[in-house]
Amino acid sequence: MSDIVDTLLNIEVFVFIGLLFWLYFKDFDKS
Amino acid sequence: MMNANNQDSGDDDPGNTNAFLNPLLIIALSITSLIAIWGLVDTAGLADIAARLVAIQFTSRAWFIMLAVSFMLLVCAWLTVSRYGRIKLGDDDDEPEFSTISWLTMLFAAGMGVGLLFWGTAEPLTHYDYIAEYSGSREAASQALFVTNFHWGLHAWSIYALTGLVIAYFSFRRKCPSLVGAPVLDTFGKNRITCVVAWMSNLLAIVAISIGVGGSIAMGVFQVQDGIDRLFEIESSGMGLTVLVFVTLCVAYFPALVVDLSRGMAKLSNAAMAVACGLMIYILIAGPTHYLMGGIVQSIGDYFGSVLVHGFRTFTFFDERVNNWFQSWTLTYMVWWIAWAPFVGVFIARISRGRTIREFICGVIFGPTIFSILWFGVFGGAGMYELLQNGSSIMAVVRENVSGVTFFVLSSFPLPLLTISLVIVAAFLFIVTSVVSAAFVLGMFSSAGDLNPSVQIKLSWGVILGALGFVMILSDNIAAIKAIIALGSLPFVFVILLLVVCLLKTLKKEVAISK
Repeated sequence: MSDIVDTLLNIEVFVFIGLLFWLYFKDFDKS
Repeated sequence: MMNANNQDSGDDDPGNTNAFLNPLLIIALSITSLIAIWGLVDTAGLADIAARLVAIQFTSRAWFIMLAVSFMLLVCAWLTVSRYGRIKLGDDDDEPEFSTISWLTMLFAAGMGVGLLFWGTAEPLTHYDYIAEYSGSREAASQALFVTNFHWGLHAWSIYALTGLVIAYFSFRRKCPSLVGAPVLDTFGKNRITCVVAWMSNLLAIVAISIGVGGSIAMGVFQVQDGIDRLFEIESSGMGLTVLVFVTLCVAYFPALVVDLSRGMAKLSNAAMAVACGLMIYILIAGPTHYLMGGIVQSIGDYFGSVLVHGFRTFTFFDERVNNWFQSWTLTYMVWWIAWAPFVGVFIARISRGRTIREFICGVIFGPTIFSILWFGVFGGAGMYELLQNGSSIMAVVRENVSGVTFFVLSSFPLPLLTISLVIVAAFLFIVTSVVSAAFVLGMFSSAGDLNPSVQIKLSWGVILGALGFVMILSDNIAAIKAIIALGSLPFVFVILLLVVCLLKTLKKEVAISK
């Protein structure tokens, strides 16, 4: 199972966590 | 920055059949109906695919689920001690609608679903059976209680607390519609992307609630059936009685969807809660009181001593068997709470207007957790006493028929006919009130936050919930039910985390503006 599916599922999580940080810190009022 | 209260808040006439033209409702009804039809046509196939997909998700994302729930607990702790704790869920001059005691009682009632009646003794003993193979039997007993308390404790309630807090804050203070997606629009403004995300969030909430409640219907029906078997000393009544119990349940909840019985439902739920509390006190007094109290005190110490560390345990370096146990219990429970989060969140938000964030979080996470420790200390402790002191055959029941364990314990106490009948009644009431409330919340979510969803919409959800429950009953397998629930609710973890970001960002802004 440590294959492409596992990798993709985890990359999806990493991207999501990155997105959360970006959403939290970005000031949307200035844009 | 815009306020989401200018989005369609569902001003339609409640009886307006055009409400069925709402795309979210059509798609949500279609998805859940398809799952139900698939399950009716090929129950084993659905259960098998659900189990496989969940196994893949759990293997790859166990770390993420545990990290997410621990993060939620830490966010709750931080909000309580931070300056945000003083912010009110409502206008600054709003006062709480209910007294603190009745508020706490209602919180207990929300968490005291049929699950606690079902698992009160069965869960600690199932863990005991497993852990005793790895450590001594006496050590296993306290570890089994600890793990059970972990599953029902602070982590579970911080998932509910955060979801409820987001809904309460954005509904009462930011005046948004009571929808899961509304905070996204309020925080990030209304554009094509945020509208899609908000819409998807509402859809995922609907799917998670309907599958989660369907699973609880199945578990409740199994328990009522086992209670009747024991009451009338039937060896095995089979599917006939199960279907009869299910039909009776439907007959009981459909009228409640047509007539507005919200006050009556609250009374029924409180009655079920009172019966459950009465049973707990009865077991404590009529049973080996010193043994049970000793177990409770030890549980409190064990739980609060290690709860934070245990939240980060992923059992990565253990063998496959331990990992399977971890997936089928701890991870499944966490996603089960996630499945119920939008439903319980709406309920606890509605009763919490006027409370501060600090009061809200402390009440929601500590009150029910302490109650759960008492509950499992009494019912789990009584099971342990049967096993370790009386040497009874309770473990055989745990292995063969988990839904009959509570009744087995009650049979060893005086007045078993009365207590078993009370459990059957309480289980039945818990399911009826859950289904009626869930149909209301689903109707609200699928009609743009309308606080009075039409009778037709509520009835549609009543039918879907019944069908999903029936599918899970047909699977006749608790593990299959858990897998189907996990599959339906896993995506919602992403939504909750996004909502937490919305909350933290908006709180930061509110405090900055007020300065």
